[in-house]
Amino acid sequence: MPQPMAYGASRPRIRGRLACAALLAMAAGMAAAAASPYVPANDDKVLARLPAGATHTSAPIRQQADARLDVALPLAQFYISQARATGDLRFLGYAEAVLSRWRSQAPPNPAVLVLQATILQSRHAFEAALGELDEALRARPDDAQAWLTRATVLRVLGRYPEAGGACAQFARWADAGVSVICEQGIKGLSSDLEAAYATLAALSTQGMLDAERAWRGSELGEMAVRLGRDTDAEHWFRDALARSPNDFYVRAALADLLLSQRRSGEVLALLQGQESIEPLLLRLAIAQKQQGNRGLARSAELLQTAFATEAERGEPVHRREQARFLLEVQNRPQEALSVALANWAVQREPDDALVLVNAARAAGAPQRAEPALEFARTHGLRDVRITATTGAHS
Amino acid sequence: MRGFGIVLALLTLAAATSAQAHVASNGFLSLQVEGARVDGALELAVPDAEIAVGLDADHDGKVTWGEVRAAQGALVSYLRQHLQLSQAQGRCQLQFGALQINQRVDGNYLWQPFTGVCPAALHELTINYSLLDQEDPSHRGLLTLSAQGVAQTAVLGGGRRVQSFDLRHPSVWYAFVEYLQAGIWHIWSGIDHLLFLLSLLLPAVLARRNHRWQAVQQAAPALLNIVKVVTAFTLAHSITLSLAAFDIIRLPSRLTESVIAASIVVAALNNVFPLVTEARWRIAFAFGLLHGFGFAAVLSEMGLPQGARLVSLLAFNLGVEAGQLAVVLAVMPVAYLLRSTRFYQGALMPWGSTGIAGLALVWLIQRASG
Repeated sequence: MPQPMAYGASRPRIRGRLACAALLAMAAGMAAAAASPYVPANDDKVLARLPAGATHTSAPIRQQADARLDVALPLAQFYISQARATGDLRFLGYAEAVLSRWRSQAPPNPAVLVLQATILQSRHAFEAALGELDEALRARPDDAQAWLTRATVLRVLGRYPEAGGACAQFARWADAGVSVICEQGIKGLSSDLEAAYATLAALSTQGMLDAERAWRGSELGEMAVRLGRDTDAEHWFRDALARSPNDFYVRAALADLLLSQRRSGEVLALLQGQESIEPLLLRLAIAQKQQGNRGLARSAELLQTAFATEAERGEPVHRREQARFLLEVQNRPQEALSVALANWAVQREPDDALVLVNAARAAGAPQRAEPALEFARTHGLRDVRITATTGAHS
Repeated sequence: MRGFGIVLALLTLAAATSAQAHVASNGFLSLQVEGARVDGALELAVPDAEIAVGLDADHDGKVTWGEVRAAQGALVSYLRQHLQLSQAQGRCQLQFGALQINQRVDGNYLWQPFTGVCPAALHELTINYSLLDQEDPSHRGLLTLSAQGVAQTAVLGGGRRVQSFDLRHPSVWYAFVEYLQAGIWHIWSGIDHLLFLLSLLLPAVLARRNHRWQAVQQAAPALLNIVKVVTAFTLAHSITLSLAAFDIIRLPSRLTESVIAASIVVAALNNVFPLVTEARWRIAFAFGLLHGFGFAAVLSEMGLPQGARLVSLLAFNLGVEAGQLAVVLAVMPVAYLLRSTRFYQGALMPWGSTGIAGLALVWLIQRASG
């Protein structure tokens, strides 16, 4: 991709010069922030490469999906998987468009509701997602998929007893192996972490699909991180990634582990070519910062633009990443703390607690992390990363 | 059927724990209103234009400038269907100009300029924005609307397809009031700025002679002292506040906060062991530069609203000055009246200043050690 020129890219960076020079630069910076459209010099210039499925040629099949549910469901599912593989949020919109006619039908098909819930939770509209799932389960109480999605959403919200209940329901209708992953994943967020880890590590993977083995590996890796067993964690994450190379979630977790060991060179290699996925771009920026890499300015600008546009749309879905960006890339702990608090009000995973604790400490106000510490005490959540920071014992 | 379910479950899991992303689909609509005329430009990302009208004529997965030029007719008729401007008197007629490309950090956008001619001078404007409503319901139009030198912003599309904007009551006024209040509130709640200023102002009603403080005889020199210190402080923090607000200079907040605490220690101790007696305005200026970064931290937590950045910054600064002036006006007449008393010279000056220095020293240690 060519280097960008618009949107403040050429804004001069001046430190500690004379005030008048800086004021001049300010005027120049504001001018540079304005759009600067141009006419390409020749017709062969490539303006964009389109990911599979994102072209106008799909219009006929999208029209067909309006008439046939058996076209709409797999098409929406394809779009959702493309969103995941490419990091392009537009695909979630395409999926939503395909489902919209079926969603407005009364009563909607439970499978439509479950897919709609998946889209909503990807946008961090967790309560709305739960609403869709409740409706789906009222119509079809034996829908394993709906129970599993429900467990996932509740887990992100930190509602562990309910999430455990959803896993138990899931187990009634699903394969025993994957049910164990669901249940032990929740159990690992309580004081039973050690036992959950042992159970899951002993689980036979015979007959499991690659994606299921990757899921197990990523759960084991996360538990090992919280137990402070970094070598084991790396083994699990790498195993999961080998089975599911497109899983950016595992890739991000592995990157975090390497960053915590200051192995930023390996992180650069791990994340090469993955810049279009925002959580991975964040890890790349942190690694570039550790390395003093010149690519940092560009990564930081991309992230800043993404956060600013999300805020402008009124959909700040990446608050966790934004808080880490402010804290670890920009050294702005006060702002990181307010974003981390806003994030904690919405989602409550161990990583959300961790960024809040780190931001509060860096901002000189460790007591502001009390909601997260209180949450950890209540649930018996064990995480050496948090304990090491606060000196607290849970 | 079970395989289907489980694979999807995994997608679900990862998507929830950390949403995938780049930026979602956004169009950028900028409009400038002048009388009955609207000058505008719509920016649409290349993938969005592709899904809506089809650009990639040879289906090779690459969109070239030549393909875009060939599709401009289709694009314009799509825009006519999905973007309408109107007022109470009727629709505005849109004329589309030559297409260009704008490179944004997340990729290339088609930049389509247009002019709208409306039936009458515009006092309100209604925008009907339905781009991509069939293809991508999560698409939004980010609007910047300028009229009479005032900009307002809004999010178009989604559930709010038709929106009207009042061009007579600029929302910038609300931004002004909000940021003015924030400025006043900050100087009153941010006691460190006030303690710094008061430390410099306490000796303003005195003069140093033969290593002793004496009351000034007349009001004029005291007033001059006060004006110099307040002006220097104001000027200095306004400069750095502006620089930081526009992201030209950034300092780590721990450093800023620590130096602000240190500045209070210096200013207060200078009253007990005077080094600078005549030109305290220089201290006010030098440290005022750092206090400006402190104000900026508050401002950056609020953020400056798009389209009203300068006005909001000005309002915040005016609020800070107003709050500061109110305190000066309340304290300094009393100081002037008390200036000859033993209480003022023998107790307030040395012990009050020592107390302030001690308090600031505690802050300094807290802030520096984080």
